[in-house]
Amino acid sequence: MKKILKKKRFNKEIDTSKRNFLTGSVTLAGVAAATSVLPVSIARANHEDSDPKGLPDFIKWKNRDALIVHSNKGIEAHRSAIGESIVTPIRNIYIRNNMPTMTDEQIGDRSKWKLSVEGVNQPKTFTLAQLKKLGQTTIATVLQCSGNGRGFYEHKPKGSQWKTGAAACILWTGVPVATIVSACGGIAKGANYMTCTGVDAPKDLDPKKATVERSVPLKAYKEAILAWEMNGVSLPNAHGGPLRAIPPGYFGINNVKHLGKLAFTETESDVKYMKTSYRISPLGKKGPEYPTCWEMPVKSWIVRPTDETGVVKSGKVQIAGVAMGGTKKVRSIKVSIDGGQNWKKAKFVGPYLGKYAWRQFIFEANLGPGSYNLASKASTGGNAQPELRYENRRGYAHNGWKDHSVNVEVV
Amino acid sequence: MGICKIFIVILLFLFSLTTRLKADSEKIDLGLEIFNNKAMCGVCHVLKAAGSTGNIGPDLDSLKPSEEQVRDVVVEGFGVMPAFGEEGLLTSEEIDAVSYYVAYSSGK
Repeated sequence: MKKILKKKRFNKEIDTSKRNFLTGSVTLAGVAAATSVLPVSIARANHEDSDPKGLPDFIKWKNRDALIVHSNKGIEAHRSAIGESIVTPIRNIYIRNNMPTMTDEQIGDRSKWKLSVEGVNQPKTFTLAQLKKLGQTTIATVLQCSGNGRGFYEHKPKGSQWKTGAAACILWTGVPVATIVSACGGIAKGANYMTCTGVDAPKDLDPKKATVERSVPLKAYKEAILAWEMNGVSLPNAHGGPLRAIPPGYFGINNVKHLGKLAFTETESDVKYMKTSYRISPLGKKGPEYPTCWEMPVKSWIVRPTDETGVVKSGKVQIAGVAMGGTKKVRSIKVSIDGGQNWKKAKFVGPYLGKYAWRQFIFEANLGPGSYNLASKASTGGNAQPELRYENRRGYAHNGWKDHSVNVEVV
Repeated sequence: MGICKIFIVILLFLFSLTTRLKADSEKIDLGLEIFNNKAMCGVCHVLKAAGSTGNIGPDLDSLKPSEEQVRDVVVEGFGVMPAFGEEGLLTSEEIDAVSYYVAYSSGK
């Protein structure tokens, strides 16, 4: 069989001239276009040197021991690797790319990176250097993939089987979108959405299918920023550098990487990533009529102790976790040590970094030897986490507390 | 069982094995052809067995998807990947072949 494979092996580089037809032909448009992340088998850590799922070249600087590699395009943090100091260490932050990360060569001189602004009274194009002169602020937000928690769905939706690690709490520094709007004479009449466009789609793919362009409700612009720094360092290419849109409280896909255009539009973008992808549809159904992944719901999970953190000794145990409110302030957090039969209030610890950041919580329990199911349930006051996931075709927006609970053995 | 019967059984076994290997080999031939030419999967995916180095979708050698997983995504599409089945870009026989081929050859 190997002989056959060798005989038939594609001996030369793929003829890139053939790629031109991908953009135009009706029948073949996008034929060779790509999947973002294929379904994968159960995530498992394998940190040996011979690990075939080592870190891909563009993120060799990440902390392999902290990460679960689903594919070279989908990498999540272990439950215990998001840290316990609110802000997630940058080397432990997940990676999820729809398009290949742009290279330094493609980006060129970062200070000359261009952003066009449309749908304003005075459309303009700014360089990154000009944006830096315009204004600056820092915000803390939870960045979370729409499919975080997909690995809990029994129907195994397509895409990386994330559990909890496609999320991070990040400090972003950049210019407020409201400042840009002021510099452009205000938003033009009739706009209903803020639409951000990445310029990372390879030129020879059908732009309607490959462009990562996302519209969010207009109100999001008021607290959104365009970031060039992340956790104190220049925004890495792998995270969308040199410029990324940060609409706080919105799922990761709306935090458009390699940002080249900011527009205020009357309608939602009609590219595939807006129109049909990222739609939360019931099982067996799909289409643009279903809600898109916008505002993140209230959610929490325990980070310690878990089966990753070793033997739990009986006695006093500090149960730690994170809780987030999405676009609303998270106001309370409860913990159960008996699988959700009884709940007790836990306490938030550490500084409050604003409603878009998550909060660390601690619950102190006295545990004797035995098996325990530890669960957490956050609330924004009006909304608390549900017990169960909302079954949907692609496994988006999971915030049910039951699946996120952990089983531990106390000795 | 006489020696003749044993001989016949061995012959039948070898015949069925040869037939199966031939069928597999034809399926792999077709799968590779689809992968490299008709569907041009290699433009977007790494698959060493096919000599492809695409960097838009995931590296298939690293991902090592099952045949069923490949079929699912080839039929329905995902992200920028076209729905080869639903859009009628590949026949069901071609989808079977390319799914089999990718599952068989990834990671090799």
